[in-house]
Amino acid sequence: MTTEPPDVHPFSHTGKFFNAVGLALKNAGLTIVTLTLYRFWARTSMRRRIWSHAWVMGDSFEYTGTGWELFRGFLISLIFFFIPATFVLYIAPLVMEPTSAAWLTFAFYVILVPLFAAARYWMRRYQLSRTRWRGIRMGLDGSAWGFAAASWGWWWLQQLSLGWYTPVARINRARLMWNNTRFGDQPFEFIDDGRSPTHGLWLPFALGWFGFVIAYIVSLLIAGFLIALLAQYGIFSPTNEDGETNEWLMFVTVGITLLTAIVLAYSLWAPYRAAAMNRIASLILLDGARFKLRVKTIPFLLIQLAGWAMIILSLGLLAPLAGYMQVRYISNRLVMIGTPKFADINQPTIAAPGAGESLADAFDLDMGVGLI
Amino acid sequence: MIQGRYIDGRTALVHTAEVELGQEALTIDAAGARHSWVYSELRRADDGNRRIILRQRKQDNGERLTLEMDAAGALRLAAPHLFKARAQGVEHPGVVGGVMAGAWSLAALFLVGVPFAADPIARYMPAQYREQIGDVAWAQVNAISEICDDSDEAEAILNGVAYRMIEASGVPQRDEIWISIVDAPMPNAFALPDNSIIVTDDLIAMAEHPDEVTGVIAHEIAHIEENHVMQGIVRQIGAGIFFDVVFGGAGAGQALALASMNLSGLRYTRDDEAEADGRGLAYLDASGINAGPIADLFERLSEMMEERERGEFPTILSSHPANRERAAAARARARPDLPPSMDEREWTIVRQACGGGAGQNAAEDDEPPAEEAPPETPPGPNNAPPEAAPAPPPGRAAPESVP
Repeated sequence: MTTEPPDVHPFSHTGKFFNAVGLALKNAGLTIVTLTLYRFWARTSMRRRIWSHAWVMGDSFEYTGTGWELFRGFLISLIFFFIPATFVLYIAPLVMEPTSAAWLTFAFYVILVPLFAAARYWMRRYQLSRTRWRGIRMGLDGSAWGFAAASWGWWWLQQLSLGWYTPVARINRARLMWNNTRFGDQPFEFIDDGRSPTHGLWLPFALGWFGFVIAYIVSLLIAGFLIALLAQYGIFSPTNEDGETNEWLMFVTVGITLLTAIVLAYSLWAPYRAAAMNRIASLILLDGARFKLRVKTIPFLLIQLAGWAMIILSLGLLAPLAGYMQVRYISNRLVMIGTPKFADINQPTIAAPGAGESLADAFDLDMGVGLI
Repeated sequence: MIQGRYIDGRTALVHTAEVELGQEALTIDAAGARHSWVYSELRRADDGNRRIILRQRKQDNGERLTLEMDAAGALRLAAPHLFKARAQGVEHPGVVGGVMAGAWSLAALFLVGVPFAADPIARYMPAQYREQIGDVAWAQVNAISEICDDSDEAEAILNGVAYRMIEASGVPQRDEIWISIVDAPMPNAFALPDNSIIVTDDLIAMAEHPDEVTGVIAHEIAHIEENHVMQGIVRQIGAGIFFDVVFGGAGAGQALALASMNLSGLRYTRDDEAEADGRGLAYLDASGINAGPIADLFERLSEMMEERERGEFPTILSSHPANRERAAAARARARPDLPPSMDEREWTIVRQACGGGAGQNAAEDDEPPAEEAPPETPPGPNNAPPEAAPAPPPGRAAPESVP
C-alpha cells in the first residue's frame, strides 16, 4: 500500500517594493504634519497593503482593521495606562512622601515587564481578529494575563541563566501563542514531532552568545585599523599640532567600536533567529497540514540590516517598509504541506475585540506595521 | 455573464460563480443559490493586488466575490465608485484634516497655552509641591557637589549681602531665600524651587571682585522673586504631557518632565534671563552696590564663550546669551565711587570657603586665577557684618540636613 504525498501549497507575496515605498512616504508625510497622530491610519494602510499581497492556494489574505479602531485603542490606553503612569511619574513625586513615591515608581516598572507581554498578546489578538483568508476570520483565544505571567517567569529564567534559557523561552512563548491561535473555528496546534522543540537551536544560539565577546574584540581591532587608515590618508589625526591627544579620538574610537560591535553581534545572532523561525514553523499544525519555512541566514540578515538602515536614516518614519520587506521574504519562503478540510472550517466562535492595540502603541511594540 | 469565485462566509470553501452586472446590483449565481449585491453597499477588499475582491460594506459576514481584472471595465461602468480610493478603505480627507486640527490644537494648548499661563499656575501651586520639587533638586545638588563644612561664616557673609538687597528692594520671599556654598567642579550659581540659592566655590574663585559674586546673587534672587524656577517646571511638564499624549506613551515626555525637576532641567527662557538681569541691576542700585564688576564678569564670560566649547555640565555660561550686551547694560549702571559690597576681611573669608579650595579648583580647571588683590576698602555703612546676617530659614541651618 502506498501513501500519496501530501499536496504542497506555497505561500507567495506579490507586493512591489516601490509601490510600498510610495505608500510609506505618503504615510510619513501625513504622520509629520499631524504630529504623529496619523500613525493609526498609516499603520492600517500598510498592513492592508502587506496582507492583501500575500497569497496561498490562489487566495490573498485580507486585513480588515481600521484606523479608527487603533485610535480608539489608543484613547483607551490613555485612560488605563497613561493617566496612572502620569500620576506615578509626574504627580506622585510632588504630592507623596519621597520614599513612598520611589516605591510606587519601582512597583510601576516591575509591573511594566508583564504588562509588556500582555500588550503583545492583545496586539496579536487584535491583528488576528482583523485578518481573513477566504472570508474566514482568524482569532486568538486564551488569557493575555496568563501569557504575561508565564512570560514574566520565563524572562526571569532567562536573566538567571545569563540568557541560556532564551531558546526554551522562545519555544514556550510560541507554543502558548500557537495553541491559542485559530483559523475560523479550527485551532492551530503546536505539535511534538518526536524531537526536542529546541532541536537545532543550540549551536546557532551559542554562536550568538559567544559572538558578543568576539564582536567586541573584533570591533576594537577594526576601530584601531580604521583610525590608522584615516590617519594615514590625513583624514583624521589622533594627535593635534602640539602632539597632544586629539580630543575627538575617544568619540571616534567609541563610535566606530560601538557601531561595529552592534552590527557584528546582530549578524552573529542571525543564524539563531533564522533557525528559531524555521523550527517554530515546522511545529505548527492546522487540521493535519504542516508548515515549512526556509528562512536563509544571510539573505534574511541582509533584509534586516537594510531595514534597520532605513529605520535609522528616516528616523523611524520608514519603519513599516522594514516590516514589509521581512513579511515579503518570509511569505515567499513558506509552504503548507497538506490540505486542511476547508469545508469543515467555519467562522470562529470567539469574539473579536472592538478596539485596537492600545498598549502596544504606547510601548511602540510593532515598529509601525505589526508582524503577527 | 462574468466568471468569478464566490466565498459564502460560512466555510473556507471557494465556489465557482457566474456574475451578472445589473443596473443597481450584481447577481451572483453560485453553489445552487443566487445572491444580489447592491453596488452602493459594496467595498473593495483587494488593495490593488491584481484581482477585484468585493465585499458587503455593512455587516461583513465574510462573503467575498473575486473577479479577474478583465472584468474591471464592465464593473467600472456599472459601479464607478468601486474604483475610487475610498472604496479600498482609504480614509476621507476630512479625517486627515480633523486629525491634523486635533494634533495642532493639543500642541497649541500645551506648548503655547501652558507656558502662557505658567506664571499663575506656578503662583497657585501649593507650597508643599514646590518643597517636594525642591527636595528632588537638593538631592541632585548633593549628588554632584559637596556641601562645605567650613563655610558657615562665608555663607553668612553672602546671606548678609543678599539680605541687604532683599530689604532694599522689598523682595517678598525675604524669609525663604538662603544661600549655600558648595564644592563643585564648575563656576555656577542657581536658584532652586524652594528658593535656595547655590553658589559654587569655582564661581567664587573665578570672581576678581566681591561685587561680581554679589551681582550673580542679585540675578538669582530676581529669578526667585519673579518665580521663574517654578514657571520653567510648569512649562516643561506641559510639554512632557503633550509629547506623551501625542506620541503615545512612556517616552520622551516623561523624560522631559522628570528632567524639569532635576538640575539639568532648571532652564529659563531668554525673557526670564533678561528680566532677571534688569531686576538684579535694580537690586544693586537700590542697595548701593556698584554694577561695574558684574559688567567685568560678563565681559570675561564673553571671552570664555568664544574660547571654550560649552561642556556637558550646566555652567553659568549656559542659557545666558549675548554676554557682551549684558555687560553693556550693567556698565551703563556702574557707579565706581561706591564701596564694595564686602570688605577685605569678608571677601577673604568668602574666598576661603570650601577649604580655601576655590583658587585650587580654579587652577585645576584652567580658569584664570584672581589676580586682582581684594579691595582694601574699609567696611561701608551698608556692609552688613557677618554677625548681622539673617538666620537661615527653618530646616536649612545645616545644608547636609536637606534631603
